[in-house]
Amino acid sequence: MKIAKYIISIVVMIVVAYNAVFFKKLDEVKASRTTTAFNAAQYAQTFWNTKLAANLDKATDITKLLTMLSKDPAKTFETYSHALGIGNLRCFLVKGKGVIASINEDDISVLPDSSKQAVTLATEYIFGNAVRDATGLININEFTNTMDFNNVSAELNKIIRQNVLPSFKQQAKKGSVIEFIGAVELNKEHLDFSHVEIVPMKIEIDE
Amino acid sequence: METAINRKKYRQTISRFQSLIALFILCFVISLLSDKFLTATNIWNVMRQISVNICISVGMTLVVLTAGIDLSVGSILALCGAITAGLLKNGIEIPSHNLYIGFTIFGAIITGLLGGSLLGWFNGWAITKFKVPPFAATLAMLTIARGLTMLWTKGFPISNLGEKFASLGTGWFLGIPSPVWISGIIVFIAIIITNKTKLGRYIYAIGGNESAATLSGINIKKIKIAVYTIAGALAAVGGILVTSRLDAAQPNAGTGYELDSIAAVVIGGTSLSGGRGSVMGTVLGAVIIGVLNNGLVLLNVSPFWQQVVKGFVILIAVVIDKANAKE
Repeated sequence: MKIAKYIISIVVMIVVAYNAVFFKKLDEVKASRTTTAFNAAQYAQTFWNTKLAANLDKATDITKLLTMLSKDPAKTFETYSHALGIGNLRCFLVKGKGVIASINEDDISVLPDSSKQAVTLATEYIFGNAVRDATGLININEFTNTMDFNNVSAELNKIIRQNVLPSFKQQAKKGSVIEFIGAVELNKEHLDFSHVEIVPMKIEIDE
Repeated sequence: METAINRKKYRQTISRFQSLIALFILCFVISLLSDKFLTATNIWNVMRQISVNICISVGMTLVVLTAGIDLSVGSILALCGAITAGLLKNGIEIPSHNLYIGFTIFGAIITGLLGGSLLGWFNGWAITKFKVPPFAATLAMLTIARGLTMLWTKGFPISNLGEKFASLGTGWFLGIPSPVWISGIIVFIAIIITNKTKLGRYIYAIGGNESAATLSGINIKKIKIAVYTIAGALAAVGGILVTSRLDAAQPNAGTGYELDSIAAVVIGGTSLSGGRGSVMGTVLGAVIIGVLNNGLVLLNVSPFWQQVVKGFVILIAVVIDKANAKE
């Protein structure tokens, strides 16, 4: 009886093991991984050069946006913002022209034309999903997993850190007039106009 | 005299159905305050979320019935989810032999479950062998398993596990989400074990009076080790479900899950001193916790306040349990 039990156990273990694992050559597996993996950097660069560049002209003027938000926030959020889910954090694609009021360690303060309300352009810590989500052009359903989707954000932010900000930071001076296009994330339930931080995607110094 | 008996019977009936009554009141209030609550999408979403807690809480119920506690379920969940994801995604590489050992979904899941069982067994062994209080032994395991998870994942999520594996947590079967089926089967088996088997009777006996159970010839050590092993295995099931649902194993997954499962057990009427309670009660407790979490989110309550509210609900449940025990 005991022997029968042992035999049955061993047979079960062999069947389980046979269906649980498989063996391959390591170099073959490594080679196939490199061809099938999602390349977030490449995706972000293509998006930046094609879709994003072609849609920057759809940005809303920041002064106009802030005015609309103070008058009818619900309608403004519905019309101009994009977001991934049903949360309160929503992103806007914005543009503006103004004078640099101050240059700080992590950002610069800009006073847009015809506005008393200064906005901030982030220049040091570029993170979050505002750039990815502001246009509403990237659909999460295109991705097989959320990590790839999040990596696209990280790569877009990296492009800004490497390609947009260095030259601007070198030339920026207090009093310079700049034109910018960027993304801003605002909370639908807790709107705070005192600190509007824009992640710049394009900045040009006029004078 | 008759009135007093009737009043006692009435109180006993209320006490028996207190979780169900609490759930109905909760659902009624939330549905009045939020029109999104009673939508099919939201209900299925809540059921999916609850499924993981039910898996863990069923194991926790068995542990608590023996007058023990398992604080390591959240960490075991994370580790087993990470083991499953890691093996499925990366397999095992042996560069010296140019060999890659790949794991099928079945193989990765079996290994994850074995991992959870082993960690649970270790908890039970430490508790019975060295007479370590369950609180201390499982607290140690909480840290050990979390550390092992960080080592295994190197602190990064393991993602992109494939559609087939993801369907375990996100799929549907006969119009019901797969995790609900899985947790339902676990509940069904646990009810059979606790009500119809020797193991179930021994679990209640140990929790009710350990000395009496020892004297009546029950192998306490064996039963306790079995109970902690089951709790570990069920935490692993939870881990696999979470990993499948997110299509990623997060190194910090399961943080605080032990509290949710203890809350489900307590709210479900299982006595923390052991020997009294039921799996069905725990299921109701888990549903209450899930509905409460969902309701607070729908009502836009700050996450900080959500914790405060949940804490008070647990406290009230314990106070009611004490009052019931006195009667």
